Amino acid sequence: MVISKHILGTFDEALTSLRNDLLMMAGLAERSLDRALKGLLQRDDDLCTHAIADDEEIDQLEKQIDKDGFEILLRFQPVASDLRRVISAIKLSPNIERIGDQATNIAKRARKLNRHPPLPEVQMIVPIQAYAMTMFKDSINAYVRENVELARSVCDRDEQLDDMNREANRKLTQRMMEDRDQLRGYFNLILVSRALERVGDHATNISEDAVYAAAAEDIRHQSLTTSV
Amino acid sequence: MPQPEVVEPRDPGAAILLNTEGEPLPLAMEAKNVSMWYGPKRAIDNLSMDMPAKAVTAIIGPSGCGKSTFIRALNRMHELVPHARIEGSVFLHGQNLYASGVDPATVRRRVGMVFQKSNPFPTMSIGENVIVGLRLNGVSDRKFLNERLEQSLRMSALWDEVKDDLHKSGTSLSGGQQQRLCIARALAVEPEVLLMDEPCSALDPIATAKIEELIQGLKTRYTIIIVTHNMQQAGRVSDFTAFFYMGRLIEIGATTKIFTNPNEKQTEDYITGRFG
Repeated sequence: MVISKHILGTFDEALTSLRNDLLMMAGLAERSLDRALKGLLQRDDDLCTHAIADDEEIDQLEKQIDKDGFEILLRFQPVASDLRRVISAIKLSPNIERIGDQATNIAKRARKLNRHPPLPEVQMIVPIQAYAMTMFKDSINAYVRENVELARSVCDRDEQLDDMNREANRKLTQRMMEDRDQLRGYFNLILVSRALERVGDHATNISEDAVYAAAAEDIRHQSLTTSV
Repeated sequence: MPQPEVVEPRDPGAAILLNTEGEPLPLAMEAKNVSMWYGPKRAIDNLSMDMPAKAVTAIIGPSGCGKSTFIRALNRMHELVPHARIEGSVFLHGQNLYASGVDPATVRRRVGMVFQKSNPFPTMSIGENVIVGLRLNGVSDRKFLNERLEQSLRMSALWDEVKDDLHKSGTSLSGGQQQRLCIARALAVEPEVLLMDEPCSALDPIATAKIEELIQGLKTRYTIIIVTHNMQQAGRVSDFTAFFYMGRLIEIGATTKIFTNPNEKQTEDYITGRFG
């Protein structure tokens, strides 16, 4: 998406800076999630510790984006697509921050799992992780490129991720009944799967904001609206 | 003499303006295929636009786009400018204001105007300034004039500030008060439409806020059409916003829509500051 130049160079700079902070935040959340999951799959506590440490920077960037966004609103009073870009950035960053929180949750669960013998069921997380990560990356791409179709496709994928999480829960609950010695391990895997399902929810929120930023269309809660 | 350029017919003003229930809004004024010239220079180019009744319609656009020229056509004020001429029609509640036999003075009573710079008559008192229009229309009943004086000053939110100084010169007031005095003067003759040509451009933020509050109060009784360079002001006070460019109406729509997601790229570029 090429945005033509604003008559105020300072406005373009402020908007670019806001966007860059958002991209950095998304990059960090993605890295944190990746480290947490590698920490789980490779049983590497150091990676888990790094993932948890990333969260601090993500939190700081969320505050920075809020501050910069409000400053742009105050100084430039943007309208139309510019207003939508700023509002979306402010709305989007808490979702990225919560993805960072999910990465921390996964890393903490992984460290607990790493204290015990490996569970082969950890492989059930791999497709869920891949699916959730792709949703997250696509949601950020959709926002940055103002790609409405890509954003909508992320929203459409959320149900599939929910199904994958439900299926993992069902199997892991079954394993809990069969193998009571590893009860805590299975329980932690259930929580990891749930954290990834929440990543999908946040990616969906980000995509909804991306659609609003690009097309001024509010696609949230559409099933509720149509069913009333 | 340069010939007017031949243009494709375009009529974005014909877009039907709807209320929140999706029903067409009753119109106070309609401009139909209006073109205007100052000598050889074309200022308005085949412009059609609907103006809903008892609502505020803001006209925005860059300098020289024809905003002020256009609103002068709405009460035939442009006829006071030498070499100005017009083609097309302007309707007020269905009556063509340019039909033969329509008296321009009557048009200007029905469609009042407030200008960029407040212009109270310097030799008149505050009270005289308000009722001068009625006097010129032959009204001499003192009781009626006094009632209308108070009513107009109350509607323009000035009564409490000047009720003890009605005999003082209109120019003794502050800039913001003078502008509200001019609004009171326009309201005294009970117009159906109030045209405002950048009414706050010379005022400080507090005086501007008072005028904006006033506009919000007046729209329950009057149709208001305001020209403004201040887009935040258009966003605050208007129900509908029209964007003009080079004598044409590019787009008109609900203000919220225009300032969040306009249909036309030219509108988007102008309001976001990416023009030209």
